[in-house]
Formats: sequence, structure tokens, C-alpha cells
Amino acid sequence: MAVQTRGRAAIKFVFWTLAAGGVIGVIVQSFVSGQMESWYYHRAANDGYAVNADSFRDATKARPVSLEIADVDEIKGLQAVPVKKGDLLPRWANGVISSKEVKEGKRVALVEGRLEVRVPWQIKQSKGFKYKDTFKHKGIETYPWGALWNVVMVLLLGLTLGYMAEGFTDLLGLKIKRLQHHVGH
Amino acid sequence: MFDFPIAGIEAPIFLLVFIGFTVGIVGGFIGVGGGYMVTPALIVFGFPGYMASGIDMTHIAGKGVVSTVRHRQLGNIDWTLALSMVAGTMLGVELGVRLLVYFKKTGIATVVLLIASVVIMFGLFLYTQIETHRAHKKLKELTKEGKAIDRELTTSSLPKFFQRIPLAPIVRCRTARVVVSMWVIVLVGMVTGVLAGFLGVGGGFIRVPALVYLVGSSTHIAVGTDLVEIVFSGGYGALRHSMEGHVDLMAVLFMLSGALFGAQVGSIATAYVRGPAIRFVLSYSLILATCGAALRLAYVLTGQNVEILSLLAVMLTLGEMIFLCLFILCLVVFAYLARRGRWVPEWAVPLLTPADDVEVPATVAAATAGGST
Repeated sequence: MAVQTRGRAAIKFVFWTLAAGGVIGVIVQSFVSGQMESWYYHRAANDGYAVNADSFRDATKARPVSLEIADVDEIKGLQAVPVKKGDLLPRWANGVISSKEVKEGKRVALVEGRLEVRVPWQIKQSKGFKYKDTFKHKGIETYPWGALWNVVMVLLLGLTLGYMAEGFTDLLGLKIKRLQHHVGH
Repeated sequence: MFDFPIAGIEAPIFLLVFIGFTVGIVGGFIGVGGGYMVTPALIVFGFPGYMASGIDMTHIAGKGVVSTVRHRQLGNIDWTLALSMVAGTMLGVELGVRLLVYFKKTGIATVVLLIASVVIMFGLFLYTQIETHRAHKKLKELTKEGKAIDRELTTSSLPKFFQRIPLAPIVRCRTARVVVSMWVIVLVGMVTGVLAGFLGVGGGFIRVPALVYLVGSSTHIAVGTDLVEIVFSGGYGALRHSMEGHVDLMAVLFMLSGALFGAQVGSIATAYVRGPAIRFVLSYSLILATCGAALRLAYVLTGQNVEILSLLAVMLTLGEMIFLCLFILCLVVFAYLARRGRWVPEWAVPLLTPADDVEVPATVAAATAGGST
């Protein structure tokens, strides 16, 4: 009897471990292949220049970084791609500098056909906490099905991990009974 | 260190796993998501503010499922109660978010939010603390007299009033052994949902006391049922945050891998204690969260010049996580010692269950005994 339940516990544990491994594999694979990122940075939400905000993190007012304006499908380093609202973003873009911002010319300005970034980040405040506010995530729209995929993956991961842990404790022989909520001890 | 390209920062994996673990313990034990602890911690690690709450919400949804699976095994979930509450909760959260947007337009959002959360959480803390002390005293008396004690003991008379409301349909929650009007459940869900959406927290803080003191379920069942609720509200919140692009799934993955272990420890720990013990931990976490919010309020009101206040708030948040974890682990260790007839502090005796709900096989028991001594 004991052997049988132990065997069943082993099957349960192995099955859910494989399932959890599969879910983690899918997540990691989509991360490595860049699909996750392309879902996040899917479309432009306003007119402006699509950029890779990580490439000019170190720009300052004294030493601005100048971006080449080019109409390409893949951003390589210091490039800015003009986009209209609703356009698909080029690969590796992760933010849109809005044309409004460029017109104001405080943080970013057009200088001799190149985009000059002077203030790449500002300190902002949320719920009483300070954080760095960059051009990243600005003016972009996420792929809605990608968002749903996110949530489904997280819930699946929780489910498989939960049952995996249950299988593990079963395998250890840890018998967890239903609590007797209303019976005196 | 791991480079998170979506959040745009580098953060140590170990710390994320650790945060997931500690919050997993606390969340599994008292049935809260733990957003008030995770969001500040993530901001300290350098995640941008909007991302911190998105990551937090998504991780809460995943962790909610993990703890729910375990609480289901322990029989802590009343599905009738949970599913009747879901609709009210969702409606409430949506209303709360709308209210928040309205207040944001008027431009006084931060101050109003912080004052509201301080007042509500402090009120809840006072009520829970007073009631639980009364229950603790009663438990002590009963132990002295040598009478049999249930797993649960509440001294609140509020549930009787709410259970007497005769509005149809009246539902019978079998696990919780509560017969109550459906409207009460939906309304409780809605009110807690509004507060949750408005204050921007998961709402477990408010929902667990509400389930105990208004609907009248036992604390264990309130915890399990609330975790089901968190799966739904957290999943919905995660979807909304994801649509905005405020979630880094890799960070969530690391936090979940810590939460996997933490949630097991926290959920199984509930088997070792009586209801008042959970309510004690809940009230302590409430007062600590209140202090954190009060410090941030002071920081905002002083014109955000006094850096030390912000630092204190962060320190407090991180400190309380560790404190609560140690408290819960202490309770488990005491329960283990009490069952083997060893000495435990007098105050802890009535909070622990003497019977074996978790049957530890001889080999595992020997290993843990060797580890703990």
C-alpha cells in the first residue's frame, strides 16, 4: 500500500516538475529570442522617434549624445527612427521620443539633422518613492495578446509549481491532512 | 547580477529570490499579497516605480496560485464563499481605480491616498489587536481549566449581526460553516475591492479581517479564501499592468522561484497554529505597514526634503518582512517543541495546536530535529 502511494507521488512529482520546466522553458525561450521584448515594444502610441533608450543612458547636458536619424527596421546603437502613431516599432526599439518633446527642445533637440539627447533621465516620484524616469516605455503600446500571454504564463507557472511542491511533500511522505476547523483539540 | 532589458536595470537575482521567499512566507500565512512590502523593495533595487507595482502585481497572481494549491490540500478554502465574492471584488477594484483616477485629476492624490491608508490600516490594527488579545486571554483561561479548545476562537459579535440579515439568496458555505446572505458576501467583497483598488494594494489586509469579523468564517478559511480572491484580482491587475507594458516577466520568474518555497512554508505553518495566532501576525503586519505609510506621508508633507524619512520608510519595510518571517518560523518551531513536550513560552501555548495535522514521518522528523538543535 505504502509503496503504491509512494509511486503515485513520484509520478505526480515528475509530471508536474516536467510541466513547470516546460513553462519556464517557454518563458526563457521567448526572452532569449527577443520575442518578449518585441511584444512589449510593439507599436508607437504617438508620433516621434523610436529609439533604444539604453544606448544613451549616460548623456548629460554638458556632453549630449547625438543620434543618427535613419529609417531602418533594426536599431543598431545610436539611431532614431521616425514613426507615426500606430506604426510597428523597429526591432530593439524600446521607447518613443515624442515630437512634442523634440519641439520643446529641453531634453531632446534636432541639431543639424541629428537628434541630440541632453537629459536622458529625470528623478520622478511615485507613492512617495523616487525613481529614475527615462525615455524607455514612453510612447509605446504593448501587444495586447502578449499581455494576456504574460498573465496566462504566470498563472500556469504558479499552478505547476504549486502541484510540483505538493508532489514533493507527498514523495517525502509528509501527510498533510485537511484541518478540522470546528472540532475541539 | 542579471540584466533586465525590459526594466532597463541590472539587479541581483539573489535579492529578488529572497524577497519572493520572505513575502511568500508572510503571504501564505496571513493570506495577503504583500504588495506593500514588495513595491518599495523593488524600487530600492532600482526598478522604475511603474514597473515595481506591475511586477509586484504579476508575482502576486502567480504566488496566489501556489499558496491556493497548498491551502486547498489543507482544506482552508471555502469555494462557495470565494466564488460568490469574486464578482463583488472585481467590481469594487474597478470602482476603486476609477476613484483613484478622479482623485489624481484633482492633484491631491498622494496625500489623500496616504492619509486614507494610514487611517484605515490603523483602525483595522486597533480592532484586530484588541479582539485578538481578548481571544488570547480566553484561550489562556480555557487552557488552564483544561477544556477542549477549537482551532478557532473569536470574541467578536459582529458576524452574528451580519449573519442575521435576511436578504435572499442566502448561501450555505459548507467548509466555513456559515449561513449568510449572498448580499453580505458581495458587499464585503465590493467594499474591500474599492479600498484595494483605491489604495493600490492587493486588499488581503482588509479582506481577511472582513471575512473573519463581518462574514464570520474562521481565520484559516479566511486566509485560504482570500488567496483565491487574490488569484483573481491579482490576475486582473497583472493583465492591466501588462497591457501598459509595466511587467518584466523575467523578474517575476525569479521572484516566483523564491515564493515557491516561501508559500509552502507559510501555508503549511497555518496547520500548526490556532486562529488568533494568524490574526496577531496580521495585526503586526498592519501596524508596520501603517508606520511605513505614515513615514512616507511625513516625507511627502515635509516637501520631500528630509531624505532620512524616505530611508527610514524603506528600512522599516525591509525590516518588517524579516521580523514577520522570523515570528512565523518561531511559531512553527514552538509548535514542534510543544508537541514533543519541550518548553515553550507561556504566551505561545494557547496559540499552538497540539494535534498532528501534518504527519511528519520518522525520517524527516529525525532530520529536522537534528537541524534545529
